[in-house]
Amino acid sequence: MTEKQIKIVAFLCNWCSYGAADLAGVSRMQYSTDIRVIRVPCSGRIDAKLILAAFREGADGVWVSGCHPGECHYLEGNYYARRKFILMGNLMEHMGIDKNRVHFSWISSAEATKFAKVAREVADTIVPMGPNDRFVKKAV
Amino acid sequence: MNTITKNIQELAVSLLRDKTVDIVIGFKSGTVPMSSVPFVAKTTEQARTFIWDTHCRLNLANYLTGRKEKIGIIAKGCDSRNIANHIIENKISREQLHIIGVPCSGMVDKVKIASEFTEEIIEYTEQPDSFVVKTASQTKTLLKKDYLRANCSTCMHPNPVIYDQLAADRVTEPLIENQFADVNRIEALSRDEKWQHFDDLLQDCIRCYACRNACPLCYCPTCFVDESDPQWVGKGTDTTDIRTFHFLRAYHCAGRCTDCGACVEACPMDINVRDFTRKLNKDVFDMYGWEAGLDIKNRPPLDTFNPDDPDEFIK
Amino acid sequence: MAIEDTNMEIIKIKKSDWAGGIDKSRKTYHLFGPVKHKNHHIFRQLENNIYPDMEYMSSVLSPKSVLFPQSQKILVTSADASGKACHIFTPPEQDHTPRAVIGIRPCDAKAVQLVKLNFDTKEYQDPYWCSAFEATTFVGLAVNTPSVLDFSTSAGSGPFAQEGLDVLLVDCKDHYLAKILSQKGKEFLNTAGFNEKEDPKAADQVIQQMKISAEKAICSVIQTQHLKKKTVLELYEAPFWEDIAFSCISCGTCAYVCPTCWCFDIQDETQGKTAVRFRNWDTCMPALFTRHSSGHNPRGEKIQRVRQRFMHKLKYFDDKYDQGIMCIGCGRCVEKCPVNIDIRDICNLMNAYKPEKESDAGEIKGEIK
Repeated sequence: MTEKQIKIVAFLCNWCSYGAADLAGVSRMQYSTDIRVIRVPCSGRIDAKLILAAFREGADGVWVSGCHPGECHYLEGNYYARRKFILMGNLMEHMGIDKNRVHFSWISSAEATKFAKVAREVADTIVPMGPNDRFVKKAV
Repeated sequence: MNTITKNIQELAVSLLRDKTVDIVIGFKSGTVPMSSVPFVAKTTEQARTFIWDTHCRLNLANYLTGRKEKIGIIAKGCDSRNIANHIIENKISREQLHIIGVPCSGMVDKVKIASEFTEEIIEYTEQPDSFVVKTASQTKTLLKKDYLRANCSTCMHPNPVIYDQLAADRVTEPLIENQFADVNRIEALSRDEKWQHFDDLLQDCIRCYACRNACPLCYCPTCFVDESDPQWVGKGTDTTDIRTFHFLRAYHCAGRCTDCGACVEACPMDINVRDFTRKLNKDVFDMYGWEAGLDIKNRPPLDTFNPDDPDEFIK
Repeated sequence: MAIEDTNMEIIKIKKSDWAGGIDKSRKTYHLFGPVKHKNHHIFRQLENNIYPDMEYMSSVLSPKSVLFPQSQKILVTSADASGKACHIFTPPEQDHTPRAVIGIRPCDAKAVQLVKLNFDTKEYQDPYWCSAFEATTFVGLAVNTPSVLDFSTSAGSGPFAQEGLDVLLVDCKDHYLAKILSQKGKEFLNTAGFNEKEDPKAADQVIQQMKISAEKAICSVIQTQHLKKKTVLELYEAPFWEDIAFSCISCGTCAYVCPTCWCFDIQDETQGKTAVRFRNWDTCMPALFTRHSSGHNPRGEKIQRVRQRFMHKLKYFDDKYDQGIMCIGCGRCVEKCPVNIDIRDICNLMNAYKPEKESDAGEIKGEIK
């Protein structure tokens, strides 16, 4: 295949979604191979800088997943994250980046089924959109 | 001398004479038409050079960061909101400040005025509601209200929100039905048009960082653009780098921006960088009912949360 | 090589012939010139259907970028083992075919000569700048109606100054008088097919007349006559720096719009298997400029940086090169500084500065005895 493989960078919270990915794996659940996981301490750690860095380096989509509201390992990190994400997503859309390239989810470490389902959904949205050409740092 | 200038000078002189403050920060007149210079007065003689006119566009709260003395400061509506921001963000304490509030009737847009003339403006004189502009071959009287800066024409908080003394009577606070019409216009564009809009907007950016440095909110010890490990953004003229800088600069102002317009005022290339911050201002207003710097009690929206915050966008 | 005044040649160019000549010259030269863009004029390379706007007053940024781009690739390498330049930094291919800068203001051309002192020295010749300079012909346009911010006559240049130009064009309503100032200039006019010779004496008289009235129209003047005699330390310790520096926001506007500021920064960027070394404009106004890797910063305070800018331009430069001040009076920084820090005022302050008598140093000396 000569087509560029789509790459989706998934920032997963160490305390929940990352565990869910593990569980999905050992349970042999099927989901897209386009996803590349980066483990983070908390969804609250995700800064717009990281999401833009992913796009700048050639990611075609970004997925951030953390603990359900009220279940944050650090008590409230995901509540703050939620406010940051919505503002950031809106500003990206405002500048002409398709909102569907950035996804957010709450997945606990027990929810392997949800993880695989959301992973499929994210990939099914991003893959048909093709490679992203906005916010990509051009070849030097 | 206009009355506000006279009052500011008198108040500043007495603050310095009585040693209520060590310094007073205000504006003095500039050396070219339609300019003003942020200025610190340490003596009563210096305080007598303060001025007030429709070119006091910069935000003096920018000069508070890191100062240790007892400070007197001249503040129009937006400056006072940024002072409130500084207090909320623990950059300065209320007790350290003596605020001379100036109810503001708006600052004029020098770029818009200059664009009315093909020749260079050589003189500008102000009258209460109008101003006279002189070029080599003509003299024109224009109305202030027609040449207000974009942010001043949608401003609903022209009166200082915190102050110790006022240099003039309060002005009526206008109620603007849709203060985000400019944001709506961009929102109505298609995705490609939006992309193009910001491409055109940033075409001239020279990365001088005047927008960042004129902004009272930008006081980080090391800005992300100056970090080298990791390097978040390249330092050349690559369009993605330029866009990354502007995106993140604006984003760091989310829920904090008072729309004072200092960024646009400072830009040597006349780029309306407010096109970024305005969207965030609109969103925090729509979602959290927040306007930055209106008091010194409430926490800004990204420093707090509500369990019922909107999260339909999260799977 | 400058042409002696006795062999002076002045060519008349009818404005109706102008565009045709410009088009002819494009076959040999890449043209650069002032172009209206949004609210202002910029200097840039001209595509085939674009003509220089000869009615422009001034460009926001100076034409220094023709020789010294804001961001320039200077070295490239690759980690691709199959390529022959693997792991070896090599200069990228550069275009040094003839180029001509049309409509550059005389003071901006003089600025190029000042920048040359930095990039072209006895010991070191910057290959990028020097080869671009060699390839460039400067076709200047005299300023008939100077801006109120123009103080070029007292800054070692002037609206009709010739230094650094190969041709000086003078706008005489329906035609230009083109004074040939170098062999390069002569070749450019030949290539463009401009060859209607005027009586040099009579034409030069017209130019001289226009020069006098343009110089008379300049209303802004700086005083520099005492700067050279002042001691560096006295100026350095002068009390006015604190007041001047207060309003500065440490942006780089003044340096970026300045035609004589030449500082740059070297940056490496990598992507995939390619690495590029860039040279980017830099400015002495932000603290980052002088921050050492140890964390120490010799100019960490704003007052030190503001002082550096003006001491460099108005004192150190002349002390080092003996070529006058490092400012040609274009007025760009005065107009564009967000807080209106005015080099004219600072120059006059420095020029007039006399330290308080009874220097402390003398007293201490006395005590030691």
